[in-house]
Amino acid sequence: MQRMFRWIAIIAIVLGVALPVIPQIIWSLAHRWLFPSLLPTEWSMSSWEYVFSPSSRVVEGFMNSLEIAVFVCILSILVGLPAARAIALNDFKGKGIIEWLLMVPIIVPGIVSTLGIHQLFIRLHLTNTFIGVSLVHLIPCIPYMVLVMVSVFSNYGTELEDTARTLGAGPIRVFLNVTLPGILPGLMVATMFTFLISWGQYITTVLIGGGTIVTLPVVLFPFITGINYSNAAAISLVFVAPAILVLIFTSRQLGQDSAVMGGFGRL
Amino acid sequence: MTHVMLKGLTRRFDDVIAVNNLNLEVESGELIAFLGPSGCGKTTTLRMITGLLLPSEGDVQFDGKSMVAVPTEKRGAVMVFQKHLLFPTMDVARNVGFGLKMAGISKKEIDRRVSEMLELVHLPGFETRRPHELSGGQQQRIALARALIVRPNVLLLDEPLANLDANLRLEMRELIRTIQREMNITSIFVTHDQEEAVMLADRIALMFDGVLQQFDVPKAFYERPNSAEVAHFFRNDNFLAGTRRGDCVETGLGSLAILPDHVTQPDGKVVVTVRPEDIYLAPTSDENLIHVKVLAQVYMGTYKQVQLDVDGNKWLAHGPADLDIREGDTIPIQLPKTHIWLLPPANGK
Amino acid sequence: MNRLKLMEKLRVPMMLFPAIAIIVVLFGGGMISGVGQSVGYFPVIGLNNFTLDYYRDVLTDDGFITSLWLTFRLAFLSTLFSSVLAVAFALVLRHTFRGSRLLTLIYQVPIPIPHLVVATGIVLLVSQSGLLSRSSVALGLTQTPRDFPVMVFDTAGVAIQLTFLWKEVPFIGVVVLAVLKSVGPQYEEIARTLGANSWQRFRYVLFPLMLPGILSTSIIVFAFVFANYEIPLLLGVRHPTTLPVMAFRNYQDPDLALRPQAMAISMILAVVAIFLLVAYKRLAKYAVES
Repeated sequence: MQRMFRWIAIIAIVLGVALPVIPQIIWSLAHRWLFPSLLPTEWSMSSWEYVFSPSSRVVEGFMNSLEIAVFVCILSILVGLPAARAIALNDFKGKGIIEWLLMVPIIVPGIVSTLGIHQLFIRLHLTNTFIGVSLVHLIPCIPYMVLVMVSVFSNYGTELEDTARTLGAGPIRVFLNVTLPGILPGLMVATMFTFLISWGQYITTVLIGGGTIVTLPVVLFPFITGINYSNAAAISLVFVAPAILVLIFTSRQLGQDSAVMGGFGRL
Repeated sequence: MTHVMLKGLTRRFDDVIAVNNLNLEVESGELIAFLGPSGCGKTTTLRMITGLLLPSEGDVQFDGKSMVAVPTEKRGAVMVFQKHLLFPTMDVARNVGFGLKMAGISKKEIDRRVSEMLELVHLPGFETRRPHELSGGQQQRIALARALIVRPNVLLLDEPLANLDANLRLEMRELIRTIQREMNITSIFVTHDQEEAVMLADRIALMFDGVLQQFDVPKAFYERPNSAEVAHFFRNDNFLAGTRRGDCVETGLGSLAILPDHVTQPDGKVVVTVRPEDIYLAPTSDENLIHVKVLAQVYMGTYKQVQLDVDGNKWLAHGPADLDIREGDTIPIQLPKTHIWLLPPANGK
Repeated sequence: MNRLKLMEKLRVPMMLFPAIAIIVVLFGGGMISGVGQSVGYFPVIGLNNFTLDYYRDVLTDDGFITSLWLTFRLAFLSTLFSSVLAVAFALVLRHTFRGSRLLTLIYQVPIPIPHLVVATGIVLLVSQSGLLSRSSVALGLTQTPRDFPVMVFDTAGVAIQLTFLWKEVPFIGVVVLAVLKSVGPQYEEIARTLGANSWQRFRYVLFPLMLPGILSTSIIVFAFVFANYEIPLLLGVRHPTTLPVMAFRNYQDPDLALRPQAMAISMILAVVAIFLLVAYKRLAKYAVES
């Protein structure tokens, strides 16, 4: 009985995960695949050639996405780490309000705050700019970074740092030699997921970028329900690449570090 | 009130034999201890009795009926674990009443029996408490009540006292003993603590490496151990090689008189042992008098523990706290023949 | 007050300030501006009188009610199906068996995959000329694409649900699995020796242990699906559509007079989200206490 359930689950998981992936790989290599053939009758690399040609704007979109996501990650770390540490290791008045302030931007849909901020950005000439798009990406990214790092810092504690201080290490050396190595695994995971949050933004980018800032999801979007399945599949596979890298790096942490998943790690 | 019989019970995990050909009979209403160091197979045996683990070979019988094909939930062999005691999602009443609810007993009847049971474990009125509000000892008693309420065929306790501090341990021991007597439930508990086994159990099954070494009343493990290993587990390391000839044993320190009816080893090579507390450091007669060197002495409060060199073997002996000896002295000691026990010769020695 | 003491007092506020300032300015600014526009403050088109008319217009509009119901139904069903499957898989994956680690790894693959990629895959899989339709021809069940049931651009939103299901089952599953693994087998073993059969062990022992994890992740999933814009736009019918799509369409409408209504819908979405967050916090607090 238990064996039967186990086999059903194994088949369901493997098949379930693979099924939406398989046709994308096949389509990206198909040249001629008429209904109802189960496999293409002619194969070619033409959609991949299209992906890497300037007319598809995939490379341009990829670079824009990458620049924005990296910029967002750096800013999130710079402002997120001190805030997370302050929250994790101190009790202060208004801590509850601060925590609320961090959770609300994650759960309130991006479309809501972005629609609201659009007018403001027009007036400040931030629409259709790299900075403007990066700023709206920060709205979910900073809180996510802070919340994950709060739990990393509180798990790490201060005992080791205090020991180093009593042994004569200054604040900078303590941070570089004691704190950073300790929180690095958590920080890496948090950064990768922050990267993916920015990488996956569509509607906020469209609204603020206004067609001038073309990121990869903006390129992909019209293809998804378009008529050229091969191109849609190839672009989609380019888009998923960093997520696969993240998966390989974080597969060990996912199940354990519930802070990453802890409810709010929606991508 | 169930008679439990283990017949040739064996359990292998891959290449490791956790329990090897265990034969054992527990009378109904008896309280048995499975004793041994960790990893000796005692918990594995317990799990096979409950059916949580299936034997590789052999049979578990309750009242002569084989239980191997009966699933755990229908055996009526209830287990009390040493930790993860209570269901954290339920209050005390629902914890205690769990087994009755599973059996489809009416809510009213469950409530009545729960309060009865709480009375029995000295925690009346605790129905609405949550597990995390209780102390370790209280949790343990609730776990016991939850097991007893279903009137189990066999009650199995896995290190029931291990997580309690010394005072609670004493109290809990009393409680288990009293209730077990009162309800007359065949019970088996697992422990690595020989004192606990001795104080609580009717009989002790001592296991090493999956093999039953000795199954007897507690007293026997002190007076008549089966082997040097058993003696060692009960804190007796006083061994001296010799050869039995009728009513005496020839040793490197001369001939020692023994009681032929008391010992069981036949003539030939034997190992002589006397428990530390049975050695006379102040001899009362010339019989079995030997001269030994004092290696060390430790003041233990109520007595003095003396380490002796007995023909090259290190022996311990207990003497009065004010015993006046010095390290390096050679003193006469007496090995009373009523307390000399003979063990089988050590392998290859 | 000496300098050291002052520094000590200012340390925490200084560490918090940059992050909080950015969030307050960007998110807070956006929300205030949104609320303003929704109650009639929109100087660009000459509006600056406070009014709740737009909320009244929206809430009494049949299109809004239909859309609200559709959005709710999609979110509710996605959440329900995801939780049920997540629990079922967690019950299997908590055991260690040959290949269980690899299987758990495969199970987690969807977590970082962007929704748009999933949507692409689902279209290629379940559209009438998709891989499943082709397989059904190969098996002799159907002859033409039209024989295959409509799952994309359909009123039931099958492709939408499948997309969310693929993403959210592992999300809920990983949390529930972590709970089951940390709990270990002993509660179940106790229940078993006390006479509980396998259904009773699930119903009375395992399920209550999993429930806080299921509920809290479910709230997040519900909130996410409820507010998602891309997937219903891509894979659903044009009318009726979900609230986020409706809000965005009204906002993009050349008729600027529709903008305050868009903002009203948007604020309603925000209220639902914040309500769900309150529920989540309550639940988390309850879970910690018990």
